[in-house]
Amino acid sequence: MSQDFRLDSVGLINRDKKLSFKFNGKKYFGYEGDTLASALLANGVHLVGRSFKYHRPRGFFGAGVDEPYAIVQLYRNNETEPNIKATEQELFDGLEAKSVNCWPSVNFDIGAINNFLKIFLPAGFYYKTFMWPKSFWYRIYEPFIRKAAGLGVASTKHDKERYEHKYEYCDLLIAGSGPSGLSSAYAAAKNGAKVILAEDKPRFGGSLLTDDVNIGNQSGKDWAEGIIAELKTMPNVVVKNRSQIFGYYDHNMLVMSEKVSDHLPKTKKYHPNKRLWYIRAKEVLISSGSIERPIVFGNNDTPGVMLSSAAKEYLKVYGVLVGKNPLIFTNNDSGYETAIEFQKHGVQPTVLDSRKNPESEIIDEAKSLGINIKNSYVVVAAQGYKKVKSADVASISDDKKQLGKIENIKCDCICVSGFWTPSIHLASQSGNKTKFKEEIDAFVPGISKQQETTLGAANGVFSLEETLQTSFSKGSELSKKITGNDNEVSIPNVVEKKFSKHDKFWCVPLPAGKNYKRFLDFQNDVAVSDIEIALKEGYRSIEHVKRYTTLGMATDQGKTSNLNGLQLVSEIENKIVPAVGHTTFRPPYTPISIGAIVGREVGKHSKPTRKSPMHAWHEKNNAVFVDAGVWLRPRYYKRGNENLFEGSKREAKNVRTNVGVCDVTTLGKIDIKGPDAAELLNRVYTNAWLKLPVGKARYGVMLREDGIVMDDGTTTRISENHYHMTTTTAQAANVLSHLEYYLQLVWPELNVNVVSTTEQWAGAAIAGPKSRNVLQKLFPNLDVSNEGLPFMGYLEGDLFGVKARIFRISFSGELAYEVNVESDNGNFMWEKIMEVGEDFKIQPYGTEALSTLRIEMGHVAGSELDGRTIPYDNSLEGLVSKKKDFIGKRSLQRSAFTAEDRQKIVGVVPLDKKTSIPEGSHLVKDDKAPLPNPKLGHISASCWSVEYDNPFSLAILKDGKNMIGEKLFAMSPLKNKVIPVEIVSSHYVDPKGERVRS
Amino acid sequence: MRPQIEFSYGGDASVKRPELNKEISDQEWDDFVYNRKSLRGKHLELWQHISGCRQWIKVERDTATHEIFKTFKADEEVA
Amino acid sequence: MQKYSIFNLVKNAFSNHQNWDLAWKDPEPKEEYDVVIIGGGGHGLATAYYLAKEHNITKVAIIEKGWIGGGNVGRNTTIIRSNYMHDENGLFSEFGMDLWRKMSQDLNYNVMFSPRGIINLAHSDAQMNAYARRGNSMRLNGIDAVLLNREEVKEIIPMADFSENVRFPIFGGLMQPSAGTARHDAVAWGYARQADDMGVDIIQNCEVIGFDVSAGKINGIRTSRGNIKAKKVGLCVAGSTNILAEKLNMTLPIETHLLQACVSEPVKPVLDSVVTFGAGHFYISQSDKGEMVMGGDLDGYNSYAQRGNLPTLQHVLTEGIAMMPFLSKLKMLRTWGGIMDMSMDGSPIIDKTHIDGLYLNCGWCYGGFKATPASGWTFAHTIAQDRVHELNAGYSLNRFNTGHLIDEKGLGTKTWIS
Repeated sequence: MSQDFRLDSVGLINRDKKLSFKFNGKKYFGYEGDTLASALLANGVHLVGRSFKYHRPRGFFGAGVDEPYAIVQLYRNNETEPNIKATEQELFDGLEAKSVNCWPSVNFDIGAINNFLKIFLPAGFYYKTFMWPKSFWYRIYEPFIRKAAGLGVASTKHDKERYEHKYEYCDLLIAGSGPSGLSSAYAAAKNGAKVILAEDKPRFGGSLLTDDVNIGNQSGKDWAEGIIAELKTMPNVVVKNRSQIFGYYDHNMLVMSEKVSDHLPKTKKYHPNKRLWYIRAKEVLISSGSIERPIVFGNNDTPGVMLSSAAKEYLKVYGVLVGKNPLIFTNNDSGYETAIEFQKHGVQPTVLDSRKNPESEIIDEAKSLGINIKNSYVVVAAQGYKKVKSADVASISDDKKQLGKIENIKCDCICVSGFWTPSIHLASQSGNKTKFKEEIDAFVPGISKQQETTLGAANGVFSLEETLQTSFSKGSELSKKITGNDNEVSIPNVVEKKFSKHDKFWCVPLPAGKNYKRFLDFQNDVAVSDIEIALKEGYRSIEHVKRYTTLGMATDQGKTSNLNGLQLVSEIENKIVPAVGHTTFRPPYTPISIGAIVGREVGKHSKPTRKSPMHAWHEKNNAVFVDAGVWLRPRYYKRGNENLFEGSKREAKNVRTNVGVCDVTTLGKIDIKGPDAAELLNRVYTNAWLKLPVGKARYGVMLREDGIVMDDGTTTRISENHYHMTTTTAQAANVLSHLEYYLQLVWPELNVNVVSTTEQWAGAAIAGPKSRNVLQKLFPNLDVSNEGLPFMGYLEGDLFGVKARIFRISFSGELAYEVNVESDNGNFMWEKIMEVGEDFKIQPYGTEALSTLRIEMGHVAGSELDGRTIPYDNSLEGLVSKKKDFIGKRSLQRSAFTAEDRQKIVGVVPLDKKTSIPEGSHLVKDDKAPLPNPKLGHISASCWSVEYDNPFSLAILKDGKNMIGEKLFAMSPLKNKVIPVEIVSSHYVDPKGERVRS
Repeated sequence: MRPQIEFSYGGDASVKRPELNKEISDQEWDDFVYNRKSLRGKHLELWQHISGCRQWIKVERDTATHEIFKTFKADEEVA
Repeated sequence: MQKYSIFNLVKNAFSNHQNWDLAWKDPEPKEEYDVVIIGGGGHGLATAYYLAKEHNITKVAIIEKGWIGGGNVGRNTTIIRSNYMHDENGLFSEFGMDLWRKMSQDLNYNVMFSPRGIINLAHSDAQMNAYARRGNSMRLNGIDAVLLNREEVKEIIPMADFSENVRFPIFGGLMQPSAGTARHDAVAWGYARQADDMGVDIIQNCEVIGFDVSAGKINGIRTSRGNIKAKKVGLCVAGSTNILAEKLNMTLPIETHLLQACVSEPVKPVLDSVVTFGAGHFYISQSDKGEMVMGGDLDGYNSYAQRGNLPTLQHVLTEGIAMMPFLSKLKMLRTWGGIMDMSMDGSPIIDKTHIDGLYLNCGWCYGGFKATPASGWTFAHTIAQDRVHELNAGYSLNRFNTGHLIDEKGLGTKTWIS
């Protein structure tokens, strides 16, 4: 298949490697080094999509990141990705792409009816309509609007690609590999600085690839290639192509997205799709260049209208003619460069220059080549629907207000140049307050805010010579400051054409009687008339204009539209552009893959998984696990066809009748050492700690300063100045920080050290009437009798050769012990316990049985200590010392906390003794009361009491202490349940606590 | 220089906890527990190197620009 | 003022939309007002509107430092809900839901309220129970709530992670079907347009420099555009509350923090509900434009900078992918930051102050947008009647002293933990 618009032997593509691809189902060919855009243009395809609102035909406008509308759905390796810019997507063999936002096809799009309704759909029309009748909004209008939303189609499949993160430090980070970036990189590299040079395109060189300039007696392109080749050999330099620095964050941190695999048919094995670089740079050089801006005229969105620089790039880089009868419309000398390139390659362009008598070297050259030039001429409107067929042109008065007679010129493309807009996004993101530079009608960076310097075109400097000089010297200067080296680098001589002044002209007036749409924002269909309406209605702040019209809010983020929008507002409002101000630049500069931002923490690895040393044993023994924070804990050990209820009931019952063992490794453990350890505990806990003897444990509750219970647990005095604190699994990390906070900041005079030992110890709770028998067998040489190891006692022992700590503490309310060994021995301990416990019918029990046991004992846990309760609410007032001060004590005086009818924990039993009360039910007096029905309390935890074989729940109930014996209703409207209940004591089993002391 | 994610925030460092066992007014207590100036500009605040050495430090930082001016040790008095 | 109607829309279409009225005027500040509302955000504009509409007080000025709607009403994720556990929050928000449902007609401005439902995902039985507690509380307060099991969730959001390769499997969720989203800017503009029409002066680019207080009574304010006398002054400046409080020598139980949000590129409709992740802090909805609107944790330090850092967004998006892996293939288009009044129990303050004639509306944390109408309505009542309405009685300033806290999350005073 011939490519009608491809020139022979021009461009940087690899003609030896032909690639086939499909667009909208049709097969085409391109070459290695093409983008999808250049390959389509080579094949004469200009119609690529439809606009967002009016569904007008859209083609290619740019050749890179600034592209506002050549957006396609990409298919690659059995996956699909929406909203890919055809101008950025490199061609690979087998690529498939489709147009978006059109149905049934890009050629015939039903949505284009909006184009005929457009007079009804001005800026803000949504806000003025769709309100009548009211119900239609919900049933008809809104669903319809939503259906019309969006560009491409998101795949809902799981992403199989891999994304990596990399963290780098460097002396100089240089954004952009055009003349300025290369110069400063080279100078800095020669001084031995650690340099990272990033280029978002596949090819290095920036404007040097397309500009007809000469550096150091060679072409700009050859010079760039030479410099890059040398930089690549230097060990202190990293050069990265396909890498976009998209964000400039605090403290000179920049983030770069490297496309590793997007240019390949599929990602190579072990390779990431993209790599995200967090780069902390000592100095940042912003050499991001500039983007040509359009001149606004009628129907300027017609396919075939494009930036003059893009036309030149397609020609010089890809050997592609965007038209064979081009019309160049310019207000500056850049348009002539494109015209000359066309002319040189056998295509005769016509140049319309809005200026009256421009004079410069390049215009002379164009004239000498015989190019047809019309001065004081403008394009009034493009003609043609799916492709430019001709242009209505006219002369224009000096004040740019009056058009001459309209003539029609045949052409197949209109290349437009309205001068250049520096890419100042990175500088602006760094916090730099940009300033408006009259000479170029654009914003440039102001005073540096962080360690950043903007150079070259990004700084509004369009002379190559000046760019090289400032960039070389800045590269030398900054690197010298860092490395101390001062290696002289000579700045090459430059041959470039001098440009004359551009015309301050950016929008062609409408001819009398015509009502052409003149687009500012192409993707969002924002036209001059929309801005006019917004201003007329009083949406005058530039932010209001932007939000009301959606100017600059499309996926191109207004790269080609924002400045023209500002010019328009400034003109209508009669304010200077800087007074209008621009909207804030925020990262990312260009849309960035969410996968790349997230990296490897996906799927099972989205958060860490913590497992106890006995995990493998649990797995082997049919444990069903439950997430407890990031820990996995056995919920129950399934036997046969048991369900959770049956299994946990069996396990709990076995604890009450025989003995059970539970993995409590996940409990937080903190080692506390130092002469003031007791004093610390005394301040942290609500109860008294100064007199706890060595070898004894005590239960304690700690509060936040606002009086709310923070955590509970036992702490054991291991030796004179050594304590072992346990916390709940959930609060382990917070408690440690809490202690460190007070020790380091509030009471630094206390001589205490704390360290987390959660990971150091494996823990097993042995509970049940026969637990002492098991313990005796584990430690045959120890006296573990009630006298030898009384309740809340502590012993150290030898567990078959392994050092162990034995605590006589109980959460289940049974006679119970907790044995800790070093983590490495955890599994050994566990197996020994199971082995010696066999005679006593030991069974492992999980968190569900543990819950049952603690609930029927009235012991509180996370569902009661929910960050909203004070000690009193949990019947822990006995632990609150009246004598000493402690963290949070002052808050307990608050009137709500001391109110007579303050909430308190109670037990709840269904009157029928059969119906389990769903957790989260609320207690009410009258189940038939009108809504809102006053709630007296809520069910915090429910279980099936194995002691009494009926349901039992805990509740936090208003005036709980006076409610024992009352009959209420537990209501769960979510589950459609109303259960008559009786309020009882929360200590349902063994209210006197005799078992733990037996 | 360590990444921000290694640190966890601890709030206004100028807030002093009232001494233990000292009679204080409701106002004084509320000022300690709840009330914060939280102004724009220089702010002395606490950070803990939580995924590191676990030291608490005081940081003088600009709440408008995020610029960090100075850091202090936990027990260092800040003038 | 022209009414927005089909008739007027057609009429204007044929005159090229050249004849629309100003949505609001741009008056010079007068010397004196009955009420000055500081802050031209959603809450301030709504307050002025309800002062005029419900209390017939029209000698009102809104004083805005920048441009109206430029604060959090213009930089939020537009979620509207009343799925609260505590009565104070639930009843207040549900009152607001009614105002939302009729807002477009009420304001003659389409705010595009879209009751698409919100689902809070649960990833454990314990979380299901906590949600049941909240959902039952909602139901008993007359608010719609449904507890969904895993299969029911899957039917509504099949693109969530129901695979084996998931760290925190979905157990179910709590849904409020009547919750939804709205077009945030339209809310500010709609209130502004109607308030203006009823005589309220909307004064932009006017910064409050100080207050004129004598003998415990407010007399007016000092601004960059001169002094303005006022019988009553309402503070509605969430995000800048601490700054103005300092000018009044008040220290409030509020810290100022930064919250980031982001949107993806627009894609065809794929997600019909608002969804929140239960094993972290992440929420998402799809806008009427097709963008996925996402948010999560605070950056976690006091800040007035409307710019955040990437690690926080990375963390938020990590949770996003953990919940809905397909998000990985989308691209992040825009990010922004908003400045939050983080109150010490997570609930707002709408109250009188110790200064006569000075009223406080602040501490909205993440939840300000949804509260716009109810906040404006109750604040207008509080100012007009010089007493709180029963709907905002719980949002008192002295609850921090009495201990009548409204802590939905049970996190206490560490406002930076979210």
